[in-house]
Amino acid sequence: METLSIIALVAASFVTILGCFSKSTRQTIILLSLQALAIGSVTLVRCLIDLIVGLNIEALIHFFIAFAEWFSAAVVVPLILYWGVVKTENVIDAPIIGARRLAILIASAAAMYTILWATRPQLLQKENMVFSFCMLMFSFSFFLMVTRRDPLKILAGLNMAENSLYPLLAEIPLMLVPFILTLMIFVTAMGTYIIVEAYRDHGTLLVDRWKVAW
Amino acid sequence: MYSLLPLLTLIVPFFSGTLCLFTCLFKFLEEFSRKMSKILLLISAALSSAAPLAMIPYCAAGEVLETAELGLRADSSNIAALASTAILFILVSIYNMGAERGGRLKPGVYNFFLLLLLCCMFGLLLSYDLFGIFLFVELLIGVSIILVAHNPIKASTEAAFKYLIITAISALFVLIGVLAIYIFTGESNLLQLVSLPEKHIVLVKNPRLLMFVVACFIIGLGADIGLAPFHGWLPDCVPASTIIVNGFTSIEPIPLILALYKLVDPLYRIYPSSVILVLMLGTGLISMIFGALMAYSQKDFFRMFAYCSIDEYGHSLFALSLLSPQEAQSLIIGQFYLITGTIAKTGLILSLGSVYFNTNCSDMDSLGGLVEKMSKTALSYIICAFSLTGIPPMGGFHAKLLFYSASYKFFNNNGNLTLAILMVILLVCISLISFIFLIRSFNRIFLGRRQANFDVKGDVPILMWLPAIILSAATLILGLRPELLLRFIRPVYFSV
Repeated sequence: METLSIIALVAASFVTILGCFSKSTRQTIILLSLQALAIGSVTLVRCLIDLIVGLNIEALIHFFIAFAEWFSAAVVVPLILYWGVVKTENVIDAPIIGARRLAILIASAAAMYTILWATRPQLLQKENMVFSFCMLMFSFSFFLMVTRRDPLKILAGLNMAENSLYPLLAEIPLMLVPFILTLMIFVTAMGTYIIVEAYRDHGTLLVDRWKVAW
Repeated sequence: MYSLLPLLTLIVPFFSGTLCLFTCLFKFLEEFSRKMSKILLLISAALSSAAPLAMIPYCAAGEVLETAELGLRADSSNIAALASTAILFILVSIYNMGAERGGRLKPGVYNFFLLLLLCCMFGLLLSYDLFGIFLFVELLIGVSIILVAHNPIKASTEAAFKYLIITAISALFVLIGVLAIYIFTGESNLLQLVSLPEKHIVLVKNPRLLMFVVACFIIGLGADIGLAPFHGWLPDCVPASTIIVNGFTSIEPIPLILALYKLVDPLYRIYPSSVILVLMLGTGLISMIFGALMAYSQKDFFRMFAYCSIDEYGHSLFALSLLSPQEAQSLIIGQFYLITGTIAKTGLILSLGSVYFNTNCSDMDSLGGLVEKMSKTALSYIICAFSLTGIPPMGGFHAKLLFYSASYKFFNNNGNLTLAILMVILLVCISLISFIFLIRSFNRIFLGRRQANFDVKGDVPILMWLPAIILSAATLILGLRPELLLRFIRPVYFSV
C-alpha cells in the first residue's frame, strides 16, 4: 500500500478520535467533514492524475464517481447536519462515560487491532491493512455514537462510521456507487428531519429526555 | 427465460408512487390529492400486484423469469412470497381507506413512501445480487422509519430515531459482509457465486472470513427484522406507529427473513459448517423464547403484539435454518410458516388497530366486553390468534406440524433422538406460552367487564373489518387446503 494512503488513513483515524472528544455539535460536524476529506482526498487525487495522464472517458467517469463520493461525504452530509443545528441548537456536552474512560477505551481498541493485525500471516497483512484501518475507524465512530446524548452528534458518528467504509467502496462496480451515495444522503436527511421533529415535540435535543412511559 | 416482468414488478409501484408524489407538489392538485389519496393508493396497489400475479402461471410451471442485467429473478422459490406480499398490501390498502386519519406527511408523500415500501419489498424478493439486496434492505428500512415518524404523537419521533440508529448501524454490518464477499471473490451474484467453483474456493480456504460474513448478515438483517437480541426498536415502534403503518410493516418480515435466508443459504452450501447452523438456529431460538416470555407480561396490546412478532420471526428463522447440504426442505417449510404466520399476524394487528380506532386505548386492563359491539373484529382476532398458536383447522396448525416434524428430523439426523425429542418439547412449550397470552388477551379485550368508560357505538366501518375477516378466512382455507400454497413453493437447487 502506498505511503500516501497510509498517511491519509492515519489522519482520518486521528480526526475520528478527535470527534469522540468534541464538545459542541458544530465541532463534530467540522470533524466529520475533515474525516471525509482525508479519506476521499487520496482517491480523488489519484483519479485526477489518471485523468490528466490518460485523458480517456473511463478515467473521466472514475474521476466523477470519486468526486461525487468525496463531495457528498465532505460537503453535502455535513451541510444537512448543519441545517439540523440551525433548526435546533448547538449542544455542548461531554461523553457520558467521561473523557478519561473514553480515552482508555479508544487506546485499548487501537492496541487490540494492532495486535490482531501483527499476528496475521505476512501475506494477509498487506491485503488486510485497508480493511483493518476501516474497522478501527468504524470502532472509534461507534464509540462516539454510544457515548453521546445529542442525537445530531450520534448521527454525525453514524456518518463517520459510513465514511470509514469508503476505502472499501472503491472496489465495487461503478454503477452502484451513486445508489449507495444517494442512500447514505437519504438516511442522513431522514435522521435530521426526525431530530428536528423530535425537538419540536419534546423541546430538547437530549435523547434521554425523549423517553415516553408506556 | 429472459423476461421484463420482474423489472415491471418494481417499476409499477415506483412510478405510481412518484405520480402520487406529484399530486402534492402543485397547489392546484392539493385538494384532489387530499380527497383522492386513499383511492389512489388502492388503485396503485392493485396495479402493482398485476405483474407479480401474472408471473404465477410461469413459475408454477417451473419457468424462471429473469431480468439478468439487474440480477432480478422470479422462480418457484420466491413467487409465493411475492404474491402474498402483493395481496396483503392490497388488503391493508383497503383498511387504510377506513382508518387513515392523517399525520406528519402530506397524503401524496405518504402514498409515495407506502408504494416505495412495496417496491422495496418486491425488489428484495426478486434480487439475487448482493448489492441489490443491500440497497433494497436499506431503502425498505429507511421508508419504514419515515412511516413510523408519520404518526403525529411525541412517542413516534423517539421510536423512529431509535429505529434509525439501530438499523443504520446494522446496515453497515450488512455492507461489510457484502463488501467482504465481493472483494475476496469478485462476484456479487449469489447464483454465480454458488455455481462457479473457482469463486467459492476463496471462501472455502478462508472459513474465518466466511463465519465473519455470516455473523455480519445475521447481526445486520437480524436488527432490521427485529430478531432478539437486536430487536431494541420493535417494542417502541409498534405502539408509536399509526394502526395502518403497523399493518403495512407487518408484511415486511416476508422479504427480510427470506433475504437473510438467501444470503446465508449459499454460504452454507459452499461451506457446510455447524457454526453457521448454530448462529442461525441460536438466533431463532433466542427470539422465540424471549418474544414469548416478554409478550406474556405485557399490558399494552401493541407491545404484546411486538413481542409476539419477535416470537414469530424466531419461528420462521428457525424453520428456514434447518439447512441441509443435500436438500432445501427448510425453504418450503420455512416459507410456508412465514407466509401463514404473516397472514395471521396481519389479521391480528388489523383487528387490534380496529379496537384502538374505536376506543383510543391500548391498555388491556382498561378494555373488556367489546365482543357485543365489535363482533366481527373479535371473530377475526380469535381466528388469527388460533392460527398463530397452531390450533386446527387453521393454517398455523399445518405450519407448526411441518415445523415440528422438520425440527425432529433435523435434530435426530444431526444430533440424537433425545436431543430431537427435547427440542420438540421445547418448541411445543413455547407455542403453549403464545397460546396462553393470545387467548388471555382476547379475554381481556373482548370478554369480561370493561374497566374504563368508552363510548363504543358499534363495529368499525366495513372497509376496516372486511380485510381482517378476509385474512382470517385465508388462514382457515390454508388450514383446510395447505397444498394451495405449498404447491407454489419449490426450492431452486443450486449445483455445487
